Amino acid sequence: MNTVNVSRRRFLQSSAVAGGGLVVGFSLSGCSTTALPLPVAHAEGAWTANAFVQILPDNTVRFYTARAEMGQGVTTGLATLLGEELDVNPLDMDIRLASAHEDYNNPLFGMQGTGGSSSTRAHFLPMRQAGANTRMLILQAAAGDLGAEVGVLSTDNGHVVHAGQRYPYADFIESASLLTIAADAPLKPADEFQYIGRESQRVDAIAKSTGTADFGLDIDIPDLHYAVVVRPPVAGAKKVTADTAAARVMPGVTDIVEVASGVAVVAESFWQATQAASKVQVEWEETDLSRVDTATLRADYAAALDAGEGVEGPDEGDVQAAFAAASTVKEADYWAPLLSHSPMEPMNAVVRIQGDEADVWTGIQFPFAVAGLVSRMADIPAENVRFHQTYLGGGFGRRGTITHLAEAADVAKKTGKPIQLVWTREDDIRQGPFRPASLMRIKAGVDESGQLIAWDTARAGANISPDTFRTLLPAMYPWLGDFLVEGVANASEIFFEHFSTDDSSTEGLFEDYDQPNTRVMHMTVDHGLPLTFWRAVGHSYTAFAKESMIDEIAQAAGIDEVAFRLQNTQSSPRRQNVIRIAGERMAQMTVPEGHHLGMAMHHSFSTDVAEIAEVSVEDGQIRVHKVTCVVDCGQAVNPDIVRSQMEGGIIYGLTAALYGDLNLESGAVMESNFHDYRMLRMNESPDIEVIIVDSGTEPTGVGEPGLPPIAPAVANAVYKATGQRLRSLPLRLV
Amino acid sequence: MIEFTLNGQAVSTNVDPSTPLLWVVRDQFKLKGSKFGCGAGLCGACTMHADGAALKTCVTPIAAVAGKAITTIEGLGTPDDLHPLQAAWHAHSVPQCGYCQSGQIMAAAALLEANPNPTATDIDAAMSGNICRCGCYPRIKRAIQSVSENALAYDAMAPAGETA
Repeated sequence: MNTVNVSRRRFLQSSAVAGGGLVVGFSLSGCSTTALPLPVAHAEGAWTANAFVQILPDNTVRFYTARAEMGQGVTTGLATLLGEELDVNPLDMDIRLASAHEDYNNPLFGMQGTGGSSSTRAHFLPMRQAGANTRMLILQAAAGDLGAEVGVLSTDNGHVVHAGQRYPYADFIESASLLTIAADAPLKPADEFQYIGRESQRVDAIAKSTGTADFGLDIDIPDLHYAVVVRPPVAGAKKVTADTAAARVMPGVTDIVEVASGVAVVAESFWQATQAASKVQVEWEETDLSRVDTATLRADYAAALDAGEGVEGPDEGDVQAAFAAASTVKEADYWAPLLSHSPMEPMNAVVRIQGDEADVWTGIQFPFAVAGLVSRMADIPAENVRFHQTYLGGGFGRRGTITHLAEAADVAKKTGKPIQLVWTREDDIRQGPFRPASLMRIKAGVDESGQLIAWDTARAGANISPDTFRTLLPAMYPWLGDFLVEGVANASEIFFEHFSTDDSSTEGLFEDYDQPNTRVMHMTVDHGLPLTFWRAVGHSYTAFAKESMIDEIAQAAGIDEVAFRLQNTQSSPRRQNVIRIAGERMAQMTVPEGHHLGMAMHHSFSTDVAEIAEVSVEDGQIRVHKVTCVVDCGQAVNPDIVRSQMEGGIIYGLTAALYGDLNLESGAVMESNFHDYRMLRMNESPDIEVIIVDSGTEPTGVGEPGLPPIAPAVANAVYKATGQRLRSLPLRLV
Repeated sequence: MIEFTLNGQAVSTNVDPSTPLLWVVRDQFKLKGSKFGCGAGLCGACTMHADGAALKTCVTPIAAVAGKAITTIEGLGTPDDLHPLQAAWHAHSVPQCGYCQSGQIMAAAALLEANPNPTATDIDAAMSGNICRCGCYPRIKRAIQSVSENALAYDAMAPAGETA
């Protein structure tokens, strides 16, 4: 587990700014070498304590959230951490979404990015420290102004309290601006927490319930033009010829320009752009991918597993000897298909280029990439690119990619117009980047005592990391030529094919149980589909294989599923605890005739989750009635948000478990919209009970860990209901 | 020229009559609360009310709403004057990313208008046209139930101090 090193972050920079007062930059990253101006907007008479907090004369506390808000509740979470130590109720704060600046770097990443269920882990101490330091400074200013010792002052929700009088923090901001901020004000002990660990609403719920939260698609600026791209049916195929004559004369069309991914049609409205785009006739080149069907993927992966040639991952003990000694051995293959993320807000970005400056509005998980990418596409200095973060209408990994932004910048540059570029839902589902398909083979062995003694596993499929390099390198190094970007990406493909496993490909396949003999192999088979992180990444498919096999081998050995999991997780009391609690719930449940309970447990993003699915099968249809989820994520900063993330992870995972399937024909994705790429709807949604283990240890991830156990929990219940062991996702009875 | 009522105000538009209502409201009248999700009437993010009934506006030509009373999320309530459903959405922390919630709330409001006392099955039926990728369904259901007449009747019967 990554630990947060606070001392590295006690770097402070001070600089006088126009408008008076003192601006104190609290560099979270600790790797700051330049004192950049703070990226927060100037407010008349306000005191900007640091990159996160601004106190206005009317005592409004303005909070700039450093992490991208894509629904996971991080804004509320970070406001809670800061508010706990600053002593301001998070629900009273004026919430702002931070721009791009190194002070907003993710301490675990060293750059400004949100993902990997990292935010609460990464900020648990630094954000509290920023709050504590700011409060200390206000107290010192108040002590001077009131002629009192700091020790006799206290605070209460945005007020300094002295001799029974309450003084708004704003009374002291003028004096505070003349003092030097403390670097290491003491933090509260956990038993004094008044916001952390307590039930509360979200800070963004009212805006998001009244249509007043701005998403990227809602950005409207003067003269904004709208672009859609006519894209190839096969990802990455280049245009041979295009006939745009019919599109050019459509109402509202102003420009038609070529971009790397196809032909961009620009119009005065998005509707007009989509209507005109449908008139563009393009002949696309045939590529290697044009010869690939879904069956090709699976057959090629199976052939690679059979051939046994690949990269060796962790190798401990002697699996062959262990299998010889085992009393029960099982081997099976598990399939997980290609998937689209399909966040509710289609991908979009607004780019306005004026001279050698640009403004960018989009909701993005990686703001650090914006300036470099737009600089590269528009040929302007990166420091002249201003980024305006919006709410993200769903992320799930998809908003860690930036192709749509590159396209928007390209079209804005080529047309000289402010551009909002929008991917249609059909683009979203057909074009990727996708969650990679995977074929996983596991051979497991158990001895007479019920001990899991051998775990021999391999995964065949493509790796995510090379595409991540291919996407992000142009933004990180705007000066790096396209040829070199492609060279580095290709080198990484070779690296992960021949020299090292890509963690994203095998994570979760072998780590959760105590078997002394383990062998892990990876067979890279890459057909050239664009790929990226998808909620829970490798765990989204490895948990299905691992937890299905655990159920299978426990059953083959004649051991109870809960007892078997407990016996084989003794090295992790925390993992055992979620299994034990889930097992106790399972034993207490009385279910109607025809309903069956399946269990799964998985560790991901430093969090342990066990889930129980109550399932029935009627007329060949799998119906999930209830899910019970036990989670140990350390200290739950906002327990209700932990619950909502477990609910969300389960429902996102259930959509994939029951329906999620993209099919290729001649390289083209056949699904196109929600009628054939089906989503779980309310009438199919189970009741969900979430049990949070009471823990005082530091927080661990919550955005993703709820997802991995649900598919195997349902599959294990379906086995009990029908005797059918379903080893392919989505789960379909034969 | 097509005339209709938008959140109580008489308005008119000269756009191509085939233009979907969603884009007229977003582009011409600058009300951005109603969202584009699929463009095919499949996800409900664009839901508004036409004469009180829920309508998927991304596939409704503007010509089809001539003379009708259109209500959007902005017309239902505001941050300073929340509709009971919006207050319930806040109280139950329903939204995650929030993108689909305007449509969800409009669908729920139309349901309660027609059926102030819906069963869980009624709620499922009325809300199954609205997709939420974040998985807010259990909370949406609870929030709707909390403002139904059933919930109010239940609260009224409960002894003081035991409802929270």
